[in-house]
Amino acid sequence: MALSLHPYHRAGRLIVLLHHLRVIPLLVRMYVRSQMEYRGAFWLDRLAQILSYGSVFATIGILLARFDTLGGWTWPELALLFSFQLLAYSLGAAMSFVQLRDLEELVRLGTFDTLLVKPFSPWAYLIFSGLNISYTGHVILAVALMGWAVISVDFGWSVWSVSFLIATLISAALLTASLITMIGATALIWVRSNHLFSIFFGFWELTRYPLNIFPGSIQITLLTAVPLALTSSVPVAALLGKPVPILGDWAAPAALAAGPVWVLIAIAYWRYATGKYQGAGG
Amino acid sequence: MSAYLAFTRSSFHSQLAYRNEVWANIFGKLVQVVARVAIWQAAYAGVGAIAVEGVSLQQMVTYALLGGAVMGATRPERIIGEIGRSLKTGDIAVWLLKPLSYPLYLFANECGSFFYRLMTQVIPTITFTALFYGMLPPASLFHALMFIAFWALSFTLLFLMSALFGLIAFWLMTSFSLDWILGALLQLFSGLLVPFWFFPEPLATIARHLPFAWVVYYPNAVYLGRLSAADIWFHLGLGLAWAGLFLFGVLWLWRSASTRITVQGG
Repeated sequence: MALSLHPYHRAGRLIVLLHHLRVIPLLVRMYVRSQMEYRGAFWLDRLAQILSYGSVFATIGILLARFDTLGGWTWPELALLFSFQLLAYSLGAAMSFVQLRDLEELVRLGTFDTLLVKPFSPWAYLIFSGLNISYTGHVILAVALMGWAVISVDFGWSVWSVSFLIATLISAALLTASLITMIGATALIWVRSNHLFSIFFGFWELTRYPLNIFPGSIQITLLTAVPLALTSSVPVAALLGKPVPILGDWAAPAALAAGPVWVLIAIAYWRYATGKYQGAGG
Repeated sequence: MSAYLAFTRSSFHSQLAYRNEVWANIFGKLVQVVARVAIWQAAYAGVGAIAVEGVSLQQMVTYALLGGAVMGATRPERIIGEIGRSLKTGDIAVWLLKPLSYPLYLFANECGSFFYRLMTQVIPTITFTALFYGMLPPASLFHALMFIAFWALSFTLLFLMSALFGLIAFWLMTSFSLDWILGALLQLFSGLLVPFWFFPEPLATIARHLPFAWVVYYPNAVYLGRLSAADIWFHLGLGLAWAGLFLFGVLWLWRSASTRITVQGG
């Protein structure tokens, strides 16, 4: 919306961009303050989430203690995969999930219309006025596990491999946020889109495990339509030099490119969806 | 009684209204079950054995199908969320004015949504996966009948646990963490993903005695014939005792909660 105010003037665009950059920290500060109002409840909730993901991790640990490997992956390798998956997801989801899940309600009630008349990008407003610090628990657990996994895994670390790990982590977070944005934006066309999140999370749970253990149809889905394998097992397998089904040697470049490419697709889709939006509220 | 039946019916119908969600849920469930089977196939392939701890791959696949589809029909987060919502909006106070029991209403409501998930998720998923993977039949007619009894017990126990956790929200004023904590306990101690046969000792012994074991592990073990007849009766009794204890807890918590309701909703 804001950009369309000055479509032909470069200087105008720059002013709008500067305006955006000034407002964003303010939006974030306001929301963070409101979330931290009940500090005790906030940290209790985070502890509960750490326990929950911790127990998933412990279950996989118990399985591996008895069976030694899963699809050729050892326990420390799977721990690296699990922590990478959780960290990439929480970074991406903090930037998108709750905000875009609530978009359905905004569309239904007609509140989304008020965002369209603000002199600000509706997407940026939605994201930054709801930047979710509730993922702190996920991040604490994932970072701790990743630290342990990095030390325990049988792998010679180098500057190159560490850079690859960080770059693919950023790419995976971008990919996650892009997919969630696209699911949320679907509400602008269909009014309802939250059932698509149950498909998203159904597949997301699978990405804690190596891609090669799944049947071919699921492997293809996880690389194309719901490309969540690129946020976990593909980058970690490429890093550790493990075989990746279908992609083979293309695993590393695909994991690096996936985030930026899907960001572009998500931007195009968001524009298409806002163009289609007709308003459902009364 | 007819009021509660009406709650059950309306909960069933209200969920049927969203057709797209029915399809999305069946699809989501199917993916989950296929994945669980794939995990066990990979685990068994890794050790290269036909049976581990006396459990064949086919039995483990059946366990995964039962655990994923049949036992996944109750959703604790829905019950805890419902109590949390009523607490936040103030609707809870209205229940004190009605000549109805709030815990019984919750149970009726959950029954409706259980039947909904049975029809739209469990039966389609089980039929499809059983045809595809060749699910084993129950060990005998006795085991089949007892499995149904354990299944009913599993549903009741899970409901009572969720209601108990939900009611604690009256003191904490947040139901979010309670939902995640119960989820964590169930994930690890119900045997949903990994049965206790594969647990290291003494963790297996502890897990077998916790009430969560009756949610997935015991019903599945009964179905597969892993327990003797005497053991089945004994564990059914123990499970009923747990249910009685939780029922007492729910009723007691609801009574103490009613006296401290502070209405914050409009």
